Amino acid sequence: MVFSITRSLKSFGKFLRRILIRIIEKRPIRDIRDWGISYSLWPAHFTTACCGAEFAAASAPRFDAERFGFLPFTSARQCNVVFIEGTLSRKMAKAARMVFEQMPEPKFVIAMGACPIDGGIFWNSYNIVLAHNILPVDVYIPGCPPRPEAVARSIMMLQDKIKKMGGAKYDELK
Amino acid sequence: MSEDKFMQVLIGPQHPGSGHMRFIVKMDGDIISEFEPDIGYVHRAVEKIAESKRYIQIVPLVERPILADTANINLGYILALERLLGIDAPPRAQYLRTLLAEINRIHSHLYGLGIHGIMIGSSTIFMWCFADREIWIELAQELTGARITYSYMIPGGVRRDLPNGFNEKLSKAIAYMEERLKDYEKIFINNPVVTARLIDVGIIKKDDAIKLGIVGPNLRASGVAYDVRKIEPYCAYPEIDFDIIVRKEGDAYSRVLVRFEEIKQSMKIVKQVVEKIPSGPIINESYLKLIPPKLREKAEQTGIWKMPAIFINLKPRKGEAISRVEAGRGEVTHYIVSDGSPNPYRFRVVTPSFRNLIAFKYTMPGHRLADIPAIYGSLDYFPPSADR
Repeated sequence: MVFSITRSLKSFGKFLRRILIRIIEKRPIRDIRDWGISYSLWPAHFTTACCGAEFAAASAPRFDAERFGFLPFTSARQCNVVFIEGTLSRKMAKAARMVFEQMPEPKFVIAMGACPIDGGIFWNSYNIVLAHNILPVDVYIPGCPPRPEAVARSIMMLQDKIKKMGGAKYDELK
Repeated sequence: MSEDKFMQVLIGPQHPGSGHMRFIVKMDGDIISEFEPDIGYVHRAVEKIAESKRYIQIVPLVERPILADTANINLGYILALERLLGIDAPPRAQYLRTLLAEINRIHSHLYGLGIHGIMIGSSTIFMWCFADREIWIELAQELTGARITYSYMIPGGVRRDLPNGFNEKLSKAIAYMEERLKDYEKIFINNPVVTARLIDVGIIKKDDAIKLGIVGPNLRASGVAYDVRKIEPYCAYPEIDFDIIVRKEGDAYSRVLVRFEEIKQSMKIVKQVVEKIPSGPIINESYLKLIPPKLREKAEQTGIWKMPAIFINLKPRKGEAISRVEAGRGEVTHYIVSDGSPNPYRFRVVTPSFRNLIAFKYTMPGHRLADIPAIYGSLDYFPPSADR
């Protein structure tokens, strides 16, 4: 008896959740949600290679990426952006994948520098992994290393993308 | 069982401190009993790739491992290559090289100081250091055309001459920085929180520092007056007056102080370089002949030299060459073996961070878990340079 009640409650909960998702996905609420997501992009504090020096300069006072709501944060569990800063070596690619899987939905990937695109100056190295082989990259920033202005530009491009195409994906919940 | 007493803690590679490495720490309560750095996260095989590249193509390649201190590591490579080619840069080029190397040392030290600040929880010093670093980066940008990857030195000279009005901007920057360093002393160096966290933490004794082969400011903080710029002077350093900063304590605080004082020394060097710089060509005359006369006229007007395309076929004699340079984080050694072809037969670079790495293993045990960022930051470790 008790078992059947909890089961029916569970199915009711699932039903309620489905309805809520449908309401959220409708026009006015969805726009507000995407606007909120686009101004609270928190990258995980995860430095993969030498472009980190320019990434640090981008979050420093002169370029101040925090005015876009972009704040590097310590724990991957509270973040929604992975910033691939330069080359991904084989050992680092495993860690990058792990960090990406730890983050809650919706999550985004920005790949910085020439190395994640096609290897850059290290194109013929034996220890390189291209970013698009392991992660769904949203925005690429070319350059070796890209200037901090380019980092700010990539954040704005990601914000535009979220506002136009919608940030959240509820595939797992459905 | 005694083994149950210990707990293994894995820190990184995704951790709040800047750095792409993992620490395997064995804890006895709150005390570190064993500390093992796990490197190789940024290994990109620079040395192996160099064997497939032409000599001139290696110039930007060697910069990538030490992105915060590119001018110095580049200078080391160029000195080794020049020894192999049997060519020398003219005096004006030597002074320009010294100028860029010291500007780079200043912003490399500011980078280290800022990262160390945020590791021990002082966001203010991170913000200040990174804001003031931009002033030096902009000066270097005006000289070379790039923010941090300069590729300014070429075999036989440098790429560009001093731009107009550079001296005024430089003296302005020095005056500003001298005022700022007083503020730094107030808010960071003499801050009771900073002194409490850094004094008597992570001590490297003089004998241990020599035995472990530690280099750079970390060695000088342990009481050894060793600086390649004085011991084996290169470029314009023999004609310039500066002091080696030495401290006896060998703790994290003294390492910070050595870097802090070295910023002042570098500014002293930069001042002298601008005063003493001789006039003349910036590329060796035998290479100057290779440039077509029309381009040479244009270059003399603008001060920007374009490398002739013949440089790609640069063939040094058969043999080997070695060079030592004092970079921001310590001594860099370059070793090139040539077999007479346009690609090097073997290229080896020993970077300062690789030599300082061993210090982690010997300084950390006996300290508390919370001391890890304080010591890690004070060693000014740059992982890509250790992994290459």
